[in-house]
Amino acid sequence: MSLRFTTCGLLTAGSLVLSPTLHAQDVVLPAPRLLTILPMGGQIGTSFDATISGNYIEDAYALLFSQSGVVAKPKLGTDGKPVLNKFTVSISPETPVGIYEARVASRLGVSSSRAFSVGKVPEITRDKPNTTLATALELPINSVCNAVLTKKSIDYYTIRANAGTRLAIDCAATGIDSKLTPVLIVADQNGKDLAVNRSSGFLDFTVPAEGTYVLKTHSLTFQGGPEQFYRLAVSEISADAPIPRQPCTRKVSSFSWNPEDKQTLPAIDEVEASTEKTAPQPITLPCQINGSFAQATDVDTYQFEAKKGEIWWIEVVSERLGLPTDPFVLIQRVKKTGSKEELIDVLELNDIPAAIPPSTNTGNGYIGPPYDAGSSDILGKLEIKEDGIFRLQIRDLLGGTRSDPANIYKLIIRKAAPDFSLVAWPMHMDLRNQDRSVVPKPIALRTGNTMAFEVTALRKDGFDGAIELGVENLPPGISASAIKIPAGKSVGTLLITASAEAKRTLGTASIFGRALINNTEIRHSCRLASVIWPIRDGARETPSTRLVDDALISVGGAEDAAVSIAPAEDKVWEAKVGSQLTIPLKVIWRGEFTGAFKMKPFASSLLTGSELNVPLKAEAVNAVLDLAAMKTAPGDYTLAYFGSAVSKHRHNPESAKLAEQADKTAEEALRLATASAKELAEAAQTAPPETKAEAEKTAQTAIQTQKDAEAIKLQTAKGLKSANEAALPKDIADIVVTEPIRISIKPADSK
Amino acid sequence: MNNQVTLWPWLSLFLIPAVLSHAAETERSLDFVNDVSPIITKESCNTGACHAKAGNGQNGFKLSVLGFEPQEDYEHIVKEGRGRRVFAAAPEESLLLLKGANIVPHGGGKKLDPNSENYRVILNWLRQGAVYQRENAPVLQSIEVTPSRNSMKVRTEQQLKVRALYSDGSTRDVTSLALYEPNDKSMAESDEAGLVKILDIPGNVAIMVRYQGKSGVYSASIPLGAPVENLPPTRNFIDQFVFSNLKLIGVPPSPVCDDPTFLRRVTLDIAGRLPTTEEANNFLTSKAPDKRDRLIDSLLDTPDYADYFANKWSALLKNKRDEATDITANFAFHSWVRDSLLANKPYDQIVRQILGATGNVIENPPVAWYKRVKEPQQQLEDIAQLFLGVRMQCVQCHHHPFEKWSQADYYSLAAFFSRVGRKTTATPGEDIIYHKRGLAQAENKKTRLQIKPAGLGGPTLEIPASEDPRLQLADWMSNKANPFFAKALVNRYWKHFFKRALVEPEDDMRDTNPPTNPELLDALANAFIESGYDLKALIRVIAHSQTYQLSAMPNQFNAIDRQNYSHYYPKHLSAEVLLDAVDQFTGSRTDFPDLPNGVRAIALPDNSYNRTSTFLKVFGRPEGASACECERSQSSTLAQSLHLMNGPDVRQKLAANAGLAETLAKSSKPVSENIRALYLTAFAREPRAEESQIAQAHLEKPRSDATGAPLDPLRSKRQGYEDLLWSLMNTKEFLYNH
Repeated sequence: MSLRFTTCGLLTAGSLVLSPTLHAQDVVLPAPRLLTILPMGGQIGTSFDATISGNYIEDAYALLFSQSGVVAKPKLGTDGKPVLNKFTVSISPETPVGIYEARVASRLGVSSSRAFSVGKVPEITRDKPNTTLATALELPINSVCNAVLTKKSIDYYTIRANAGTRLAIDCAATGIDSKLTPVLIVADQNGKDLAVNRSSGFLDFTVPAEGTYVLKTHSLTFQGGPEQFYRLAVSEISADAPIPRQPCTRKVSSFSWNPEDKQTLPAIDEVEASTEKTAPQPITLPCQINGSFAQATDVDTYQFEAKKGEIWWIEVVSERLGLPTDPFVLIQRVKKTGSKEELIDVLELNDIPAAIPPSTNTGNGYIGPPYDAGSSDILGKLEIKEDGIFRLQIRDLLGGTRSDPANIYKLIIRKAAPDFSLVAWPMHMDLRNQDRSVVPKPIALRTGNTMAFEVTALRKDGFDGAIELGVENLPPGISASAIKIPAGKSVGTLLITASAEAKRTLGTASIFGRALINNTEIRHSCRLASVIWPIRDGARETPSTRLVDDALISVGGAEDAAVSIAPAEDKVWEAKVGSQLTIPLKVIWRGEFTGAFKMKPFASSLLTGSELNVPLKAEAVNAVLDLAAMKTAPGDYTLAYFGSAVSKHRHNPESAKLAEQADKTAEEALRLATASAKELAEAAQTAPPETKAEAEKTAQTAIQTQKDAEAIKLQTAKGLKSANEAALPKDIADIVVTEPIRISIKPADSK
Repeated sequence: MNNQVTLWPWLSLFLIPAVLSHAAETERSLDFVNDVSPIITKESCNTGACHAKAGNGQNGFKLSVLGFEPQEDYEHIVKEGRGRRVFAAAPEESLLLLKGANIVPHGGGKKLDPNSENYRVILNWLRQGAVYQRENAPVLQSIEVTPSRNSMKVRTEQQLKVRALYSDGSTRDVTSLALYEPNDKSMAESDEAGLVKILDIPGNVAIMVRYQGKSGVYSASIPLGAPVENLPPTRNFIDQFVFSNLKLIGVPPSPVCDDPTFLRRVTLDIAGRLPTTEEANNFLTSKAPDKRDRLIDSLLDTPDYADYFANKWSALLKNKRDEATDITANFAFHSWVRDSLLANKPYDQIVRQILGATGNVIENPPVAWYKRVKEPQQQLEDIAQLFLGVRMQCVQCHHHPFEKWSQADYYSLAAFFSRVGRKTTATPGEDIIYHKRGLAQAENKKTRLQIKPAGLGGPTLEIPASEDPRLQLADWMSNKANPFFAKALVNRYWKHFFKRALVEPEDDMRDTNPPTNPELLDALANAFIESGYDLKALIRVIAHSQTYQLSAMPNQFNAIDRQNYSHYYPKHLSAEVLLDAVDQFTGSRTDFPDLPNGVRAIALPDNSYNRTSTFLKVFGRPEGASACECERSQSSTLAQSLHLMNGPDVRQKLAANAGLAETLAKSSKPVSENIRALYLTAFAREPRAEESQIAQAHLEKPRSDATGAPLDPLRSKRQGYEDLLWSLMNTKEFLYNH
């Protein structure tokens, strides 16, 4: 992917939008976060203005998109200067329909991303309140409206349609990163509700009679504000057309299923049973079946023959398609005695567990990552113990009382095809007691900083080998290293480091994993996941997460890491099995810390170590590894330590200086304007009659200039106060990670 | 130890001669089960307040509730208490008798007179060797109450006879040992000997008779005997059953109410609000002969109907906010109930979707019920009370004291909920609910036996491991032959409209608590079933009836009637309806957190608003803590009266800017028209001439401020209107639906 962005001058008078989250920064150093972009998408082949907001993006110099067909340049005001937080976005005619990442580049690096949609139909952006029936906005059919809800309010639209028209009304919200749980209501002109949806943001409405209809949308809990944005699409579809939905982002669990993967197995369509007693549908293995949990209590039964010793792998994909389902598979052997048939349970399959248990929000403080890489889908092994006829029942554990043919599944029964999928996310950990904040962590490195990522693998069909992790296409000054996922395990660590010499940079890298499977190297890309919104208290608000399209890696260049810890020499540290290895580490202190801190090695069953104490201001520490105690086998290893430390941080002191300068300039301008206004007013008073009118006019203009200067002075004073407050030193706890240490363990000398 | 002779082995050697000699003196052999336990029960020794108190009984002496566990009671009497409770060598010195007769001081007082038959029976039982149960002793099968039903005049008496019927065909007169309890103490009293005194109120009353876990009932129809003439023409089967009952008991009904009364009544009962002035004008001026039916239909078609009944159901379904994060579940569940009612989803489907809920609260909001009601015991108790009208709470620990339900029945119901699976989510307290495959069964906590699912009184079900037993429970409930499901709902809704249910309390339906009009209850239930569990159809048939449309003004005979629906029984406006009515009347608005301005109190999704609205709290809006309608305050309190007269929020509403008082004060319309508008809004009727006169005089009265200076005309008028609003609002006519 080639990134297209346009730089612009430093944008002044930065504002920290959505300030309630500011307090959450007490536990994580400032990082740029793009939180809103309005509109949230656009039509192919058009150009339009977009407004952004976020945290620590006050000096954003570019708006970037993960799709090369979408570009942005700063919006210029009438004075030719960039307008704060505004960009002009253009979508080229060739851009595919889809959902992409939007980010900004700022002094601290690249921001976390916000979803940005690209579609075919015309778009409008609601620009004035429509919170009453009287102010309802008319929404043309086959268009999309971008809007933001107001707290305790309902947005009103009107639609004109002919009798018999089938309308697909789709409110994209959580799928485009919004916090909104939308409610859609179609009412007649008298306000009588005709159709309501409160769960999926979609209504399939056939117009009963020609006329105007009212479309109401609001949050399930009537929340509002910049986080509650939505894209409301109304399209006309034919009576038999499938239901169209707007593109949406993917859940973390879907990392293990690539919808574009072509399955080579014979495909079968489920034959929907007319009654519960209908005979099972015969199938021959291997196969892939496309089915649907169409009816409440739907149980789809398939029958097949299998021979003793056969091993089949069964995978069901449904939840990972973004559906609210929980498939369950039961395999039974058919035992016939005369005409009597008995079913004997062989296997139950349910859920794909997460390699790292996610936070369940039941305790105090940090209890696990907010990411759930597990799924309610199925992946399991069936071993045939004796020849026979088998029945496979598949049902949706959540489908007892609902009937929705859109809840589809793909059931794959295959011979072992060992493989793996990978997902990574920035490391979260307990930074302070009782702290439950969760924030998106863009890969915006400070100079000399190392960022750690947890990587988890879903192993398929018995694959048990080690998985090496790597990163390609890193921007200059950035390196990556990894603690591989050992054989039989599912968790590894990825470390991305900005060197002490790194300059401002950014680029899209490729994270991958590779493994030897049946003597062939198999390589897969590793998906990245992110938290969507900064959350101050995870106990009061459940953090949402999703996969992101790409790995955009950056160094901001404006700040250095407060401390860097790295091996004293850039080399591979060698030792013999059973020996003690001491690795000197150098510590570079750049910031002010409140005390010594401890670091732990990243867990690895092969090479661990004891805690590392880092005394305050120590220039060197030793990592001591007792290889005998750890029983480390010969081989190449990577080791790193992590811990939390509290440092004093001043946010953007340069901005405070600039703001002070701007304030002084404004003050001087005001002084001059005031003096001029006074002088001209006096001149007007004493002016002879023939020039009095002209003099008075000039005096009035001067008074207006004075007023304008006063307004600017007020603004700069406010900006200065805000910048000074932000620049005050604050104690902030954050994760400190050492640079990777490469180790080679050699066999012991033979005696 | 069942049906075995139990002697005191350690006494038998030297006591046998004595036992034999005493036995020879008695007419028959006595045992604990059939002779002693009934006395203990009769004397109330084994009530929850005495020796059946949970834990360790009373002062270490524990008995089972109402003697439902005779084996345990026998053990406690004979073998515990260091052998002092019974003293074989000198039975008269047994603590059982000494305490019972208060010879040794007894906290429960004197229960046995040494000269009484009961005392002699226990003494003889002790002398005979304190047998638990004689070999081949007959087992009590049932009791027979005579008369079982008759017609009684007011202020008369009826002696009941109670016969116990045993397994060997023998019978025994247990009148003196049975327990008697009227279901309406204002209508009848009964003494310990089974003498029933009929009081002054006509109608139907039942006396529940209990003896050793068996129950029977005596029903008395108490006619007033007044002439019943000029009955309104019947509109439907409700009138047939109500009027025929009124004829039977001689209570003449009041006439059908006038249009203004009907408009206000039915609007409050269906839509939970006052009629608007426009609605009142339209309805009162309409000449359409079917305008009442049309009004009912139009009200049922409004979102107000759905809001009002969703408000009722939400509290019963425990849509309760304990944590801030509950908001999503609560809003979703409340909206789901409302949408279901608005769409007139059949009641059996609504219940099925709650019972069989799976998924998360946003995808499937009825899952929220499982968030509040977590354990199978709680689930079965709520379901039984809410949807079957049966209270099962006490059956968890012992046999139902007034009903046939045993612990086996209890755990059979619990078994339906034994396969509810839960997966934790990231939201505190919220789970994904699913059906966990496996055999549905519940352990009887007492016997430790695994019990399979069965509906109340229904056969044991063999539910395949793969099927969700909760859906089978829903199937059993919505089966047309189910004896509880439809009756419980129609009884509950009947109470909504008539203030008094056909069975009171509305969720305590049992053989020993018969309906006041059984034929009507059956007919309503059948009609509801035949309609496909159509809630709107049920409301329609109730509201169409002349019975519902009778005047609340009693005639010379029926004022005393409390249960035969001879006139409409006025009822308080509930907290939410009253707050909305005050807002509507005063032209003000109450704003609630997290809801758009203008959302009315009847549309509030959960109990959290009781914390922000003093008004709702004072007037008893329920907290959603129980499945019982009784949680809603039914009584008037001094605090309510004071709040309505002087509450700061009420004062604010009266004086609200752009409120009705100010609007009328500024209005250029004649004062008489303004007064008319006020009466139409408050009471849906025109003011009477005298009322109009008084109001006008008050409005035109000159006013002065605290210093005595005259008020400017506008302020004076506004104050006059505020006074008038205040006066009308504090009348019973405003505060009641009548």
